[in-house]
Amino acid sequence: MVKSGLSTLDATILSLLAYAGSAQLAAMPLIATLAPLWLVTLTAIIVNLRFVVYTALLRPHFTHLSAGRRLWLGYIVGDIMFVRFTSLLQQEPNYPHKVAYYTGGALANWVIWQVSSLIGIFAASVIPASWGLELAGTLALVALLVPLCRQWPALAGATAAAVVAVLAHSLPLRLGLLCGVLVGIAVALLVDQQLRRRTGSERASS
Amino acid sequence: MTDLLGTIDPYVWLAILGVTAATFITRASLFVLGARVQFPPMVEAALRFAPACALAAIVAADLAFVEGQLRIDASNHKLIAGCIGIGIFSLTRSITGTIAGGMIAFWLLHF
Repeated sequence: MVKSGLSTLDATILSLLAYAGSAQLAAMPLIATLAPLWLVTLTAIIVNLRFVVYTALLRPHFTHLSAGRRLWLGYIVGDIMFVRFTSLLQQEPNYPHKVAYYTGGALANWVIWQVSSLIGIFAASVIPASWGLELAGTLALVALLVPLCRQWPALAGATAAAVVAVLAHSLPLRLGLLCGVLVGIAVALLVDQQLRRRTGSERASS
Repeated sequence: MTDLLGTIDPYVWLAILGVTAATFITRASLFVLGARVQFPPMVEAALRFAPACALAAIVAADLAFVEGQLRIDASNHKLIAGCIGIGIFSLTRSITGTIAGGMIAFWLLHF
């Protein structure tokens, strides 16, 4: 992160406050090129959209808690805890300590993530720029991207988004990224619909 | 280490607040609202596909350009390292392995 124009202090504060690896990595190059603030924020929101889906599904388990408590429980939502919590409740729908299970796991994840992130930030401040370490950030995004593309609609959408982002790269304000995302989502939805229709008609004919 | 504390740049700090706001908006708003919000299926599907599309767009824009020039060929070492990274992750499911393998490939090609 420090390799893209932020000071070590900036990167530390960003990591501690935002707690969003891929959104941070995505926002960095925009901040480095002084892109408008609305675009930085919008990019972070788009990369974080999966959390809207997670929290929509998790919310019924926490509605009995106070609003302040729900705010913090939402803030610490992570990919790993979402998967573990939902699979626990599939096995044991009436698990009595689900709030404690969620809070403990998600907090532990927050601490481990922050420690690793800060080690990375300080390591980057002593490693020379000629080593091309910003590529490590992109490779981390690759590792997050690949498992999201396991189904055809997502793979088609991601491919379309990549092609459009490259073709529209010369647009100002890095708007090529936004074009890529919008076209990608449209393609993914179309493929998803086609697949559903096909499986639907197969089911109807059998 | 000269810029350990850095200068206080209002733009950078507002950008940090923006990314933090994005975290709270996406993770906490539905929890806080509490009331039952049901997305139309189309919106839910779009939300599901958005992260993959966003990451793909960012990765492609990062890897396809060398010093601002579009370079989709074997002379683009970042692109090759990225493809190797995809291969490593598909085989091993290891984030550390993907980063390490991709960086080693890049350094071997580059130096």
